[in-house]
Parts: sequence; C-alpha cells; structure tokens
Amino acid sequence: VKLKILLGSCLWVMLITSLHVQLNVGWTRLASMLAGRQELIVGFLPVT
Amino acid sequence: VTKNSEEGSIFRSQKFTDWPTVKEALIAKEIGGAFILAPMAMQLAADGVPIKVVHLGHRDGTAIVVRSDGGIRDFADLRGKVVAIPSRYANQNILMHRMMKTWGMEFDSMELREVPPPEHPTALREGSIDAYIVGEPFAAKAEVDGFGRVLYHTKDIWEEFISCVLVVHEDLIDGERELVQELVDGIAKSGKWLDEDLDHRMDAAEVAAELYYFQPPELLKYVLSKPVDRVKYTNLAPLEEEFDEIMRLAVEIGVLGEEIAFERYADPSFSRSLDELDWEMDRLPPIPRAAGEEVTR
Repeated sequence: VKLKILLGSCLWVMLITSLHVQLNVGWTRLASMLAGRQELIVGFLPVT
Repeated sequence: VTKNSEEGSIFRSQKFTDWPTVKEALIAKEIGGAFILAPMAMQLAADGVPIKVVHLGHRDGTAIVVRSDGGIRDFADLRGKVVAIPSRYANQNILMHRMMKTWGMEFDSMELREVPPPEHPTALREGSIDAYIVGEPFAAKAEVDGFGRVLYHTKDIWEEFISCVLVVHEDLIDGERELVQELVDGIAKSGKWLDEDLDHRMDAAEVAAELYYFQPPELLKYVLSKPVDRVKYTNLAPLEEEFDEIMRLAVEIGVLGEEIAFERYADPSFSRSLDELDWEMDRLPPIPRAAGEEVTR
C-alpha cells in the first residue's frame, strides 16, 4: 500500500509539474533554454 | 517559415490588435522588441521607456483613400471633410499635417479622427468618414472591394515614407547585441529578397496572409504588386535627418511635448550594407495544409 501511495504521489507531482511547465513556460521554450539558445519575442500589428 | 536564425537563436512574433497594448507589453518587458509607429517610439523614449529604434519595418505602404464614387480629386477637396487616421502617434497623422502645410491649409481645415486601422474601409463604405489614411493592406482593401480609390500613395507625396519601426529594449542592445544583430540582419535579408523578385513577393503574400495577417492572399498579392513600389523593404536603416523631420513636425502639431535628440531613441549601428547580406533561397515552399499541423519550414 505504501509503495502504491509513493508511486501515486510521484506520478501526481510529475503531472502537476508538467502542466505548470506547459502553462507557464512552454515545452518549446524550455527546450531552447536547456539547449542554451537565445530567444526574442517581437510584437507586431498586422498593418504596414 | 522558421523561428530559428542561422545561428540557432529563436525569434517569435506576437500579434497585437491595438497600439496601447503593444506599448504596455514593451514597458512590462513581456516582449523584447516590437514594430511600432515612429512618433510613438519617440514619445516612449521621451517618457523614459528604455527602447531604441534599430531598424525600419518598410518604406511607403500607406495611402490616402477616398470613395470611388465621390468628388474628391485632390488634397484641397479634403477641406471640411472627416479623414480617419490610425493613431495620433502615427506618422500618417504627421503626413496629413505636412500636406496641409504644403497646400497652404490651416491645421483645423479638416477633422482627423482616430480609427483603428481594420475599421477604416468599413467606415468609408458606410459614409461615417470621407477619406482615410492608413497602412496596407487596409488601403488596398477598399480598392479591391470596389468602393474606394487611392487619392495618393505615400511614394508620391512623401518619398521613402516611414511608418513602422523596429524598437528593442536597451537591455538587449547593451547585453545581447548579437541577438539584436541577428534580428536586424534577418529583417534586412528578407527585405532584400522581397524586393529582388516579384515571385518572392507572391510567395511571401501567401505565407503572411495565412500565418500573420489573416487576410485573403489575393489582397496581400495586390498590395505587393499594384504597383510593385507601393511598399518597399529595402533602405531600412534609420536615418537621423528623416527622423528629425518627423520629430519636428510632431512637436509642431503637439504630438510630442518637446524636441528629442535622435541618439535618445535610435541606434542605427545594427544596420549593415545589403551587399553583406544575402538569403540563399529562391522560392518558399507551400504551407502544409493538414488540419492541426504546426506550420514550420
């Protein structure tokens, strides 16, 4: 039973962590951060 | 379309629908850079926002549009009329005042009304305005839809007209010069590519229409070819004498509170000779059409 609780807790933490990463950082951005690539966001309006 | 530069840096674009929100995102550093209106960049710098103009977005690409069934034949016919402008801080506003001076008209001889750019064609069609001045593709929209005609292209009334400029945070200029240089080089290279072949423009219209402008590709193709110098993407280095003229006119009409030195809001050091920049690409491949598929090239 303890093992089940431990595994369940670990899975729950992993799930919540994944959701937080997705919502707050994004997987693409995380990958580029880990790869040491720089990133720049440029705003625009669709008008010349 | 790729988000990566040749050096591997990632550039993302974020679409906005109004100028105040872009301004707030810049101030809050939610974005590192933006294409904004030239006088707005001056005003932000004057207000202490640490940004600098490092490049232009394009040249020309603006027109004064009137109803095709109306009697407006030249600028003098706009006397007493209502003309929509995209923003008080737009260079289009400065241009209208510059034209009034040229034609010997008082600044209050017509009503300049701020209207969001996408609403300009509809306002003209419905008759709530008599004319509008705006950047493309909204000038061409009235032409293509058959109810408007161009009174003047900017190329015919203010040569090499400046509308949108690329600004970046000073933090990036100080700490990540290579990143800013990559961005400026990328814009300059793609501009050179656009201006060297009409087929390139047609390919770009397809991509931009679907991924960035959300407009019919035919409209953007019209903008980029009728005539071909309606909007230009070369000669994009920020030049002090041109910005000084805009700044002085902005002060004269009260858009800017006081004169501001070019060095306070611009850094032209990232603009390089186009001879040093080339894009090893001929045509753009078509956009993948599968539902839900991420569009990357």
